[in-house]
Amino acid sequence: MSELALFLVRIGFVAVLWIFVLSLLSVIRADLYGRRVMSRLAKQSGPQLSQAPVAELDIDDGDAFEPTKIQMLTGRSAGNSLELGEKKEVTIGRSPGSDLVISDEFASNTHAKLVLVGDEWVLQDLSSTNGTFIDGKRVTTPVTMTAGATIRIGTTTFDLRS
Amino acid sequence: MSNLSLTSAIPNLIRAVPRSRNFEAMLIFWVSGIHAFALAQIQLSILQIMTWEMLLYWAPPTLSAMIVHWVLRKCAVKADGLMLPLAFLLNGLGIAMIYRLDLAELAAGGSDLFAQRQVWLSCFAMLIAAAVIRVVPNHLALRRFPFISGLAAVVLLLLPAAPVIGRTVNGATLWVGTDELSFQPGEIAKILLAIFFAGYLVSRQGSLAEIGSRVLGVKVPRAKDLGPILLFWFASLGVLIVQRDLGTSILYFGLFLVMVYTATGRGFYIGAGLVMMVTGALVASRFFDYVERRFEVWLDPFSSANYTAIGGSYQLVQGLFGMANGDVIGTGLGGGFPQLIPLAESDFIFAALGEELGLAGVFVVLAVYLLLVYRGLRIANSHPDDFSKLLALGLAFVIGLQVFVVAGGVMGLLPLTGLTTPFLAAGGSSLLANWSIIALLLIISDSSLRSNK
Repeated sequence: MSELALFLVRIGFVAVLWIFVLSLLSVIRADLYGRRVMSRLAKQSGPQLSQAPVAELDIDDGDAFEPTKIQMLTGRSAGNSLELGEKKEVTIGRSPGSDLVISDEFASNTHAKLVLVGDEWVLQDLSSTNGTFIDGKRVTTPVTMTAGATIRIGTTTFDLRS
Repeated sequence: MSNLSLTSAIPNLIRAVPRSRNFEAMLIFWVSGIHAFALAQIQLSILQIMTWEMLLYWAPPTLSAMIVHWVLRKCAVKADGLMLPLAFLLNGLGIAMIYRLDLAELAAGGSDLFAQRQVWLSCFAMLIAAAVIRVVPNHLALRRFPFISGLAAVVLLLLPAAPVIGRTVNGATLWVGTDELSFQPGEIAKILLAIFFAGYLVSRQGSLAEIGSRVLGVKVPRAKDLGPILLFWFASLGVLIVQRDLGTSILYFGLFLVMVYTATGRGFYIGAGLVMMVTGALVASRFFDYVERRFEVWLDPFSSANYTAIGGSYQLVQGLFGMANGDVIGTGLGGGFPQLIPLAESDFIFAALGEELGLAGVFVVLAVYLLLVYRGLRIANSHPDDFSKLLALGLAFVIGLQVFVVAGGVMGLLPLTGLTTPFLAAGGSSLLANWSIIALLLIISDSSLRSNK
């Protein structure tokens, strides 16, 4: 083979290797963009909580639902309860800094939060890995809590009651 | 509830095979094309013609990779799609380079050939990986045996020092077996140790991270929590002093540090660990002349005393000369003189690649390793279960640290060690262990995506 041909082959091989690796980078970029779209959605529904569409579960019967505590139903801390007191916000998650610490394999560190909007408690999922469920329905947009509604995170369930 | 399960079932109905599998199939074809290119280039530049012999080095690994891919389609359809092609790329590059060194050996009239052996060992390792994916339904079963794996790891580490079966090569007692058939049990031990650390740390995570008394403003964990870990650490370190291999002990200690740090999030472990490592190295260099020699060679490879000494810097310097000869784009496969480096097919394959592919090629190889480790860490990060997180992290880290220590050693930035370059270097135990690591990571990534649905 001529010198020139060998030279081209030599450059060509390294170039093919580079093209291979760079094409894989596009996959990884897709990973990152996928995540960014999600976090942008979370941001939109985060700060402007009161403007976000609120899915009503039941028809409001007129009586205001004013819970005073969170009652744990199943999971490791079943039977315990957390007094709401004067709290305006309750963070829920596995991290020790949460207001309501859930030791559950399927809970994220900052999993969800309950926010007092006016006189209603609104549950918002904080882009948790495994989701938050109210009466079996996954919470995608913030949901107003009603009497008797059961929240489930992983294998832990709890509700708001007075 | 029924509504929910129906909606979550729809994506599975529409897309029975996730995109990652088809992408993986495409990448495997691409990689096998790269391998054919490499082999053809080698034959053209050394033999001047292309012969059918090339197929012997190309077809069996490609077929094995396809078998692994097929098993993934059957048993772990949601597993990561990049891992297998990346490992396969490195494995094939290694085979091509070893074949190239074989041709040089034949031209010089020698008969010390490695490539055929490497081909069959690679196939064997890939088939074992396929079997692991097929047989191990769920890696969480491993969680039940932390202490058994820990014990098995120590036994495996001790085996080479045992009479009759143990063998010492180049001063390090790392092998078991006869002259024809030898095995490095330490390679398998690193997987078992990762399982042990993950299983143990996950059950003690809380007490290791939270409980402890403050000494000088630093929280020191209770002796009770640290005891078993320190015990295993001393055991494996003692074993390695007996075996006289510095690299393996760095590998195990690094694995231990990273896993403890990840499990607890406490900088104390990293600080204490680094102090222990540096003191250990200094003490070892005082008391063990083989460590001291490694240090001398590392600090001053170009002195004539070191260069001419037996076990001196000759190999390292030849590797450095080779890489310098390679320049930026390399001499091209078959164009350089990597056969001049002692053990170019195993310990110094990185230098051989550096000479023939150049700086640009070395960066690609390092980038492939980086992607491999990145995928491993990503699997660890996205898995909901703590044991799986730790195990995936440990396994990915083992590959990363090995590459770091080997590449650093060959480039003269770190003392030389006896660690193998994952997937590239000639040697069956290393291939088997690293392909098993890939298999475990694939299983973990598959279970992570399954539990998310």
